[in-house]
Amino acid sequence: MSKVPVDKLKPGMKLSRPLVAKGGMVLLGEGTELTEKWIDRIADMDVEGIFIDGPSEQSEPLEENLARLDARFRSVAREPHMGRLKQIVKNYIEDLYDKH
Amino acid sequence: MTSIDIKAHRNRIENINALPTVPSTLKRISAIIEKPKLTIDELSHFIANDPALASRVLKMVNSAIYGFPGRISSISHAIMLLGLNVVKGLLLGTSIFEIMQKVMKGLWDHSLGCAVACRVIAEKLGLKYPEEVSVAGLLHDLGKVILILEYQKAYEEAIVDAKEKGIAISEAERVHFQETHAAVGMWLSQKWRLPVNLIDVMAYHHRPTAAKFAPLETAIVHFSDILVRARGLGFAGDPYVPAVHPVAFEMLRLSDDDIRDVLAKMDDSLEQTADLSEL
Repeated sequence: MSKVPVDKLKPGMKLSRPLVAKGGMVLLGEGTELTEKWIDRIADMDVEGIFIDGPSEQSEPLEENLARLDARFRSVAREPHMGRLKQIVKNYIEDLYDKH
Repeated sequence: MTSIDIKAHRNRIENINALPTVPSTLKRISAIIEKPKLTIDELSHFIANDPALASRVLKMVNSAIYGFPGRISSISHAIMLLGLNVVKGLLLGTSIFEIMQKVMKGLWDHSLGCAVACRVIAEKLGLKYPEEVSVAGLLHDLGKVILILEYQKAYEEAIVDAKEKGIAISEAERVHFQETHAAVGMWLSQKWRLPVNLIDVMAYHHRPTAAKFAPLETAIVHFSDILVRARGLGFAGDPYVPAVHPVAFEMLRLSDDDIRDVLAKMDDSLEQTADLSEL
């Protein structure tokens, strides 16, 4: 799930959380597929962004992200369990990029 | 190098209301939560009488930290659902947030990420009160906040030291203060009459097997603290991932998939709680 600014919304995106008016009324339910019309209506509302299904855009290149991971684990990589933990985080980060 | 024996300052720290750098909201909160026989009524009155505080507390309970998104509409409902101790912790959470924003922004992301990881792990292990573990995660570095606030120069030196020497911030704290933030957090949580489980977590999140009352909760916070650093979220004083205590880690019996799931929920929640920064 990621928060997408209103001007970046595109038809076909699906809401990962309901859109709720200030008074608490649900305007668009979770899972609603956005159309041009809904996007225009949302643009008229006072909201910053909408939660959309799917992973967020990664702002830094994968290599840099993994280099920072290596640096963080530098002194503990050989301690018990830490190799496994590092591998899990590494796979997790790589998957964030694969989805794009 | 600035070196302070913080143990000699214990009385000064415990008398938090006299510290010049501590913001008045925290002083007022401190005065109410240290009352020996605080009742639910008293606490909900205190919060409800301050609309800004009430809205901050509600925003927090309805955030991803607690897993009741958008469902809690009043302070009394929050206290019934979460219990007196969790709400006491939350009040502290909102006020340390205010301080972290000023003195060490990354520490808030670190604390939030840790709180979410704690809740998810506590739920996986079937603990009865996952919210209590989550508050423990939120507050585990409370001692750092007070140290930075009151001894800014020495603390900044400790941060530089940790980075240059490649050591953990708690080790650098020991050099500059003779003690760590864990001890400072423990003194304050005792003064505030926080539950023994929370005091245990505060005192032993770096040496989880020393916990006397809440070994499992302490192990959860210990591991969550490490996992947030492993993911590279926030900043807790040094850029390194510390080694996990094997006994504590094995106690949690988490599979690779469990850990991935915690990472995913942590990332999701931090995106959703980004609007908490307007608290």
